[in-house]
Amino acid sequence: MNFSDETVMAYADGELDAASRAAVEAAMATDPQLAQRVARHRALRERLRAALDPVLDEPPPERLLEGVRGAPAPRRAANVVALKRKAAPRWSWPQWGAIAASLVGGVLLGPLLLRAPAGAALVTRDGQVLASGVLARALTEQLASDQPRGAPVQIGVSFRARNGDYCRTFVLREQSALAGLACRGREAWRLEVLAQTPAQPAAAADYRPAGSALPASVARTLDELIAGEPLDAAGETGARARGWKP
Amino acid sequence: MEENGTHERNAGIDVRASPAELREELVMLLPRLRRFARALARDVHDADDLVQIAVERALTRSAQLRPDAPLSSWMFGIVRNAWLDELRARGRRTRLFAPEESAERIGDASQGAHADLLAVQDALARLPEEQRAAVALVLIEGLSYKEAAHIMEVPIGTLTSRLARGREALQEMLGESTGALR
Repeated sequence: MNFSDETVMAYADGELDAASRAAVEAAMATDPQLAQRVARHRALRERLRAALDPVLDEPPPERLLEGVRGAPAPRRAANVVALKRKAAPRWSWPQWGAIAASLVGGVLLGPLLLRAPAGAALVTRDGQVLASGVLARALTEQLASDQPRGAPVQIGVSFRARNGDYCRTFVLREQSALAGLACRGREAWRLEVLAQTPAQPAAAADYRPAGSALPASVARTLDELIAGEPLDAAGETGARARGWKP
Repeated sequence: MEENGTHERNAGIDVRASPAELREELVMLLPRLRRFARALARDVHDADDLVQIAVERALTRSAQLRPDAPLSSWMFGIVRNAWLDELRARGRRTRLFAPEESAERIGDASQGAHADLLAVQDALARLPEEQRAAVALVLIEGLSYKEAAHIMEVPIGTLTSRLARGREALQEMLGESTGALR
């Protein structure tokens, strides 16, 4: 008697009713090939279990236990400056100054804001952080589908936000790489979030963002804002042609 | 131990009326949730993030938990949905960023059980998502076809065909050492 693959599988998984099970067992007694098919299924299950069962013996990380028991449980640490939270007031100058100042000693925003050469990439105006210089140019002009090699800014995803604005993710490479998300306001690109990405090896002369995943904070902001799917190459070109106006 | 009266009152309404009980059950369930998430996500940090998200969702949605349904099935479903959300988000991100292929993984595949875990996880990672979920629920978590189909919100026939295809692909990737005709 011939048994289908699904029947043999269901037998190995203990899913057959008594009559079918008896039929398979009777056939196995005289059909070594059938017995082998069953053994194969069982061996695979054993191998998967042997590989993954040790996870059961690991003590769960403290953050998970805290999450279950109700204590505050921060996600994996992210090196993030949240520029704006939903329903939160815009950063005022003093706040922004404090952020910049607190990071001057590091490699994050100090050089970008305070060194302020012609190409300064970020400015603050009316309590908002806006793209400027090289970053503003790239956000306005550069297509994700056609990025100059070694350009200081790499454009990521372009999309329409729920409020209709066009927004784009980017990676800006100064001494260290910053990733962020900016949305086009009436006159300028407004930064929604900015985060430091893991340092790139100095040897990476032709910088490629591959391997440096989008920081979680930027990804979350993208997920919060996006309406529908990201723009494809044609959508991106069309939006640029319209000056990124909604 | 509770007094009899408390049990009587809770019977038939909601055996997990107390949030504290739900939390304790979740703590007990954490090892299995972590194993399931590891089968889905491979990376240990991603997997634990998934479990954490699932626990948060479960605690905010505990009203949706049917008292007669096993907590484990409900939680596996939440973990899986969190994983699908994550995959969709990654799909958008990878338009710019290459997937996080961990190059060091190849180098550190040392001998023994750890190497086998990596081989199995790599093979699982190469399965289409719906086959991977079917394999993880039935072969690793030991659920019945019916339970797995319920969690994946598909008919049993769909579940069994995904399971069969997933198995076949794993056999091929993991080689005949799995055939085990010893």
